[in-house]
Amino acid sequence: MVDHPVALELKDLRAWYGESQSLHGVSMEVGQGEVVSIMGRNGAGKSTTLKCIMGLIEKKTGQVMFRDQNITTWMPEKISRMGLAYCPEERGIYASLSVSENLLLPPIVAEGGFTVDEIYALFPNLNERRSNQGTKLSGGEQQMLAIARILRTGAKLILLDEPTEGLAPVIVQKIGDVIRMLKQRGFTIILVEQSFHFVARLADKSYIMESGRIVDRFDQEQLGSNMSKIHAYLGI
Amino acid sequence: MNELLNILPPLPALFGQLMIGIINGSFYALLSLGLALIFGLLNVVNFAHGAQYMLGGLAAYLLLAHAGLSYWYALLLAPIAVGFVGLVTERIFLRHLYKLDHLYGMLLTFGLTLVLEGVVRNYYGASGNSYSTPELLTGAWNVGFMMLPHYRLWVILVSLVICVTTWLLIEKTKIGSYVRAATENPSLTRAFGINVPRIMMLTYAFGVALAGFAGVMAAPLYQVSASMGSELIIIVFAVVVIGGMGSIMGSIVSGFVLGLLEGLTKVFYPEASTTVVFVAMAIVLLIRPSGLFGTFLQHKPADGAAMKSTHAAFEKAAMTYVILGLLAITAPLLVYPPFLIKVLSYALFACSFNLLLGYGGMLSFGHAAFYGGGSYIFAAAAKWWGLDPISAIVLSGMGAAVLGVIMGVVSIKRQGIYFSMITLAMAQMFYFFIVQSEFSGNDEGIQAVPRGSLAGVSLNDPFVLYYFCLGIFVLGFVAINTIIKSPFGYSFRAVRDNDARALSLGYAVEHYKLAAFVMSAFFAGIAGAMDAINFQLASLTNIHWTMSGHGILMTIIGGVATMTGPLVGALLVATLENYLAHLGSWVTVVQGFIFVFCVLLFRRGIVGEFSAWLEKRQERSPSQAR
Repeated sequence: MVDHPVALELKDLRAWYGESQSLHGVSMEVGQGEVVSIMGRNGAGKSTTLKCIMGLIEKKTGQVMFRDQNITTWMPEKISRMGLAYCPEERGIYASLSVSENLLLPPIVAEGGFTVDEIYALFPNLNERRSNQGTKLSGGEQQMLAIARILRTGAKLILLDEPTEGLAPVIVQKIGDVIRMLKQRGFTIILVEQSFHFVARLADKSYIMESGRIVDRFDQEQLGSNMSKIHAYLGI
Repeated sequence: MNELLNILPPLPALFGQLMIGIINGSFYALLSLGLALIFGLLNVVNFAHGAQYMLGGLAAYLLLAHAGLSYWYALLLAPIAVGFVGLVTERIFLRHLYKLDHLYGMLLTFGLTLVLEGVVRNYYGASGNSYSTPELLTGAWNVGFMMLPHYRLWVILVSLVICVTTWLLIEKTKIGSYVRAATENPSLTRAFGINVPRIMMLTYAFGVALAGFAGVMAAPLYQVSASMGSELIIIVFAVVVIGGMGSIMGSIVSGFVLGLLEGLTKVFYPEASTTVVFVAMAIVLLIRPSGLFGTFLQHKPADGAAMKSTHAAFEKAAMTYVILGLLAITAPLLVYPPFLIKVLSYALFACSFNLLLGYGGMLSFGHAAFYGGGSYIFAAAAKWWGLDPISAIVLSGMGAAVLGVIMGVVSIKRQGIYFSMITLAMAQMFYFFIVQSEFSGNDEGIQAVPRGSLAGVSLNDPFVLYYFCLGIFVLGFVAINTIIKSPFGYSFRAVRDNDARALSLGYAVEHYKLAAFVMSAFFAGIAGAMDAINFQLASLTNIHWTMSGHGILMTIIGGVATMTGPLVGALLVATLENYLAHLGSWVTVVQGFIFVFCVLLFRRGIVGEFSAWLEKRQERSPSQAR
């Protein structure tokens, strides 16, 4: 599995919310152009890991290496300008911005992002509702918008936090299609998910988290034969 | 029909007052707009907004007097200069407070206000300097039924244009979308690569520049003086509360509407014109607590609300109180008793304040109403109704408590900084009420208040009076600390720490808050009565908002939520006032600096820091022994 150069590497990452420690030494490697999933139960530290990468959690030790640079202590705005983009679990659509303002908000950080036309072609609903208030969209549309707005920026490594949570199957499928298309275009994706079936078809490699630690790791071809083990991890 | 015509005022008078109303409204709108912008993004109630407005006026005055630069240059240069001061202020001070309780931002800017106003008063005197209307805009326009001065029309037009432009800038532009996004979700906005800290700095500078701009506009209309902003800012707070904090449109519309309302009141019921805005605020709060244009954004209080009680061992030790008692008993042998009584009344005032802030997390900016109210009631009771001192003191406390019920019912509808602003506005309303009412003696106050006698012993002897006041203070101190340690006190603290949880556990949160507020008012009233019996005077100083500032300063400097902190704070503040009195307005500057210092670096106060130091030492020593 050394066919991908390393894009992002976490080394012994530990993080705290106030006094309580939430990550206890997370290490992982994400290769250029890979889709890597992080699975685990609620509270396992998946979202915290993403937030640490983005610099949204200050109290942390260990290392976040992005393209051979140590970005551990960088401010989020600087990390984002390096070409990392983050789509939070709660989607983070701004109520005080219209759909098109939401879409155009993140500044372009690199060339090669989607154009607005491409985005509207990909998500026609957003075009129809471009002047609506951002939070007046349906849950599925909000998720589309949340993903769409980071595609514009030209960031090549994107962090998706549970993009399918609480959405109808047809929309989940659409999001799966989008991720597959992004992979073809050379994006690197870290996908936090609880749904094994969604991950199984997409991820090159999957990490399992439990209580702030990585407890297991599977490559795509190993997933099928370890179904029962993974289901035990996820508590289904 | 004729009767109806008689009730109506003559048309020119009506239009004249409406005009003045719109002019005032223009300033309310310009100032509350900046305040709303800053509050929305930084969560800071910029108390210094009034002082920054004053700086704008002063800059215009100085540019003309010393550089010969006209109004038109001032209109451009003064806002830039004031905005730059704002930029530096944000960089040096405010930036360090964002992660703390929002109350600290208000306290810091309050301190800065004292510094700015004090410095200006020292160099340019308390009286105003006049600034002539620019030549181009002198003269008036006769529209038949009244004269319209050109300058006034200009003010109205320009402020309308500025307000609408700012609104468009925020609502319709790319930069505006950054500001809105950063207001709504700062950390996510940063994660998109937008430099939110810089936007915050620039927004603060912009809001402050607007205040400076308003100051230049005001210079030809009003006198340029050190205090031109501080009276205005309290009205603007009320305007902002009415409009709905953080709502841009709300602050513009309510600014103009309230100006008009004030103008109309001047025509039909002039006595109420100074208070009508505050009455409107109270009504709006009772009907729509989030304000007329209240936004959907509910600002969460910052976590780790830093005001936690620290009861160190030495504060529980009987020895501490024996020593304090001995000191209090022997003090008049060394120190002038009237000064000591002042310390006692300040200390009781600070204790009453601490009950609310330290154990309820409620920062009242209106305690001067209770302190001053108490002293007026005592003066009236002793002088005119012939009550004996004890009854008069009790009556003062009860009167203040009644006032506390009225203010409390309105103000506890909102939390945090809203509560602070509302108490400030309500107290200001009471201030104007006292200024205007017959019995208060207006500017003179009630003088030559008799001290009376107790069981045949005259209280005119300073030593007797001191021990009498000491007795009352001890009663008050013990009562307050008994309340804090009672089941009520614990429930009240639960409300402070997490009122949603307290509510879900079945506590009537609002009742607890109101009860604590009224109790605090009661003791502040007693403290005010002690002030009146000491100086034989009830005056406007005691009821002015700066007295509320005193209470806050004493509590914070001594240590919020400590038992002895308010005593230490009172001693310090009273000493500062007495022994630095010859420095004049510099006292205010010193107090302002202390405020800023405490808020930035010394948040636990003297007693709090001392306790923390003791604790650390105790933790260390057993391990060393082993």
